[in-house]
Amino acid sequence: MSVAKVLPTISVEGLTGCAGELLVILENLDQLLPYVRIKSFPFAQSRNEDGPVDITFVEGSVSQNHDLEKLTKIRANSRWLVAVGNCATTGCLQKASCQQCTAKSMMQAVYGNDSTLSFLPAQPLEHYVKVDVSLSGCPINATQFLAVTASLLREQLPYITSKPVCLECKMKENPCVLIEKNAPCLGPITAAGCGALCPSVGAACYGCWGVCDEPQIEAMKIILSEKGYDVDEIYSRLKAFGAPEHLFERMDKKAV
Amino acid sequence: MDIERKSIEISEICRVEGHAAVTVNFENGVIADVQLNVFEGARFFERIVLGHMYDEIPHITSRVCAICSTGHVVAAIKSIEGIFGFVPASRDLLHRELMHLGMIIESHATHICALALPDFLNVGDLMTLASQHPAEFEIWKQLRSLGSTIQTIVGGRPFHPVNLHVGGLSSYPDKEQLVEMGKLLDQNQENAMNLYRLLAGLNVAFGQGVAPVYSALIPAQDGYGYFGEEIRTSTGFQANVDEYRHYLNEKVVRYSHAKQSTFDGQPFMVGSLARLAMFAERLRPTALALYEKSPLAGKSHNTILNNLAQAIELVEAIDRSKVIIETLLAASPGGSNSKFIHQAPLLEKRAGAKTGAVECPRGTLYHFYELDLSGKVVAADMITPSAQNTARIESDIRQLVAGLKEEQADSIQAKLETLVRAYDPCNTCATHMVQVVYK
Repeated sequence: MSVAKVLPTISVEGLTGCAGELLVILENLDQLLPYVRIKSFPFAQSRNEDGPVDITFVEGSVSQNHDLEKLTKIRANSRWLVAVGNCATTGCLQKASCQQCTAKSMMQAVYGNDSTLSFLPAQPLEHYVKVDVSLSGCPINATQFLAVTASLLREQLPYITSKPVCLECKMKENPCVLIEKNAPCLGPITAAGCGALCPSVGAACYGCWGVCDEPQIEAMKIILSEKGYDVDEIYSRLKAFGAPEHLFERMDKKAV
Repeated sequence: MDIERKSIEISEICRVEGHAAVTVNFENGVIADVQLNVFEGARFFERIVLGHMYDEIPHITSRVCAICSTGHVVAAIKSIEGIFGFVPASRDLLHRELMHLGMIIESHATHICALALPDFLNVGDLMTLASQHPAEFEIWKQLRSLGSTIQTIVGGRPFHPVNLHVGGLSSYPDKEQLVEMGKLLDQNQENAMNLYRLLAGLNVAFGQGVAPVYSALIPAQDGYGYFGEEIRTSTGFQANVDEYRHYLNEKVVRYSHAKQSTFDGQPFMVGSLARLAMFAERLRPTALALYEKSPLAGKSHNTILNNLAQAIELVEAIDRSKVIIETLLAASPGGSNSKFIHQAPLLEKRAGAKTGAVECPRGTLYHFYELDLSGKVVAADMITPSAQNTARIESDIRQLVAGLKEEQADSIQAKLETLVRAYDPCNTCATHMVQVVYK
């Protein structure tokens, strides 16, 4: 590689989340180092630069004004903005909790009435800015992350689908934990990409990658009811990782 | 009277988990105020778990933090199994411990090499670390890969494990996988020793801090360990973790999203330094020898030594993991190669409340849950190590800048960052909380 060659630049930024995606990226960074220059990655280095960048990976949800200001600046500076992980793509658990109670009650519960600290109900990046690529996962799959990056470095938007976990589970020839063990497996409505991790170890998928394309949520509810799970419990399991509210509205309507 | 104000502000400390800032305010040349402001957005985990079934809780709470997710999972499991009065089989307990050690290895290696070490090697970014210090970069790669391989084999993925549940594991590694982990552990013993030597050889000329109140779980087993039911402090206090509300005084501070804890009104310290200060004599011979020739054995309380303490724990974790693997292999000498899928035991649900605690890489983590008869969570509380350390970090900063003249203020920034980083603060953890929800 010639020294004069200008490498594409990447930045890795975190909003509010568990830092899981930052960790996945950090642990796979040595594979990218020959091909990119890291402009900013505050989790991993102290010398960071502002300004235009080719690709920015953003983890976490927008949960406070500080996050929003940061995101707005990132969007303005980035050619490609990649939302990584479910907090960034759907809001994940953090958004789910905000759906359950009002922003005001949370604010008061944490800081009291006269707090000057900022708080916004958790939202995915797309709620505020244009996102070029959404890479789901909790955490993201390292292979998918490298593939997405390779694609963008070749000036191509990656092709990402979200078929249900059942598809990957069947390809692994796992026994079905939902049908055979009556476990509350959410595989049928959950986005694959993890490699059907839970059913592969004999456990129920709990939906951590968010819902798949066109989730058959009504059918999921019927199966779980048949397996003896009560409606409250079904809702609590389905909603834990932030499935969008409108799906449940549809489900409730059909149930009438 | 005119008050002349000046302040040192570090708007974002890099190379830590999550987001934190430090502010030191001077009035008339004297320090008026030190604030560690954790400005990660609030995350409300104690609110999130309410109404969910007991078996969902470990998976939900693992999302408090990626790097110590295994710790959050085990703490939640311990609380809930405690409520049910369930004692897992020894095979499950050994796998759980191995998983936990995998986390300790990965977390310590990442903190020491990628987050802390660049300060001492004078490199500001990762590319420089990789190109100018390839040996150190390689040690980190191998050690963190060891930790993540253990967690992937036992837990199903490098973090946010899918195989650890209330009641036990859903499947177990086969013989080949146990042998593979054993080989990796052997290969990494020298890496861990080299990392210790590297840190021990650094000239870290930071002022000697006053002795903090150390606090750590008393390991339940005879050896050095991370699980236990009681805590001990360096002041001689001892209590069951169920009493944590009485001895940890957690309060909300105005300027930060992280709560702070104090012990008897004094800031205290949890983590590797605290564990070694109280339980070093339980280490295995290799790690014990390292400890005895280190400044830690001379009862040095320099916070920067937390990095060295982590290196000693890395050596110990590799040793202990090898013993666990030998035990597991010996228990099933024929060693079926097919993965045994375990039918989760039918737990007898009970209503009740209990605290589960584990020693995470950064110190004692408490999870408290109250369940109703149907197995749903009605109250929850989590106290993270980083929140416990915050008050001590502030007092440490105060001490570091105490003798400082105003004009030196600008040069102190790097030192302050290094100091805060030595605690390995995890701000994603520290901001998980909403208020304690009592029924």
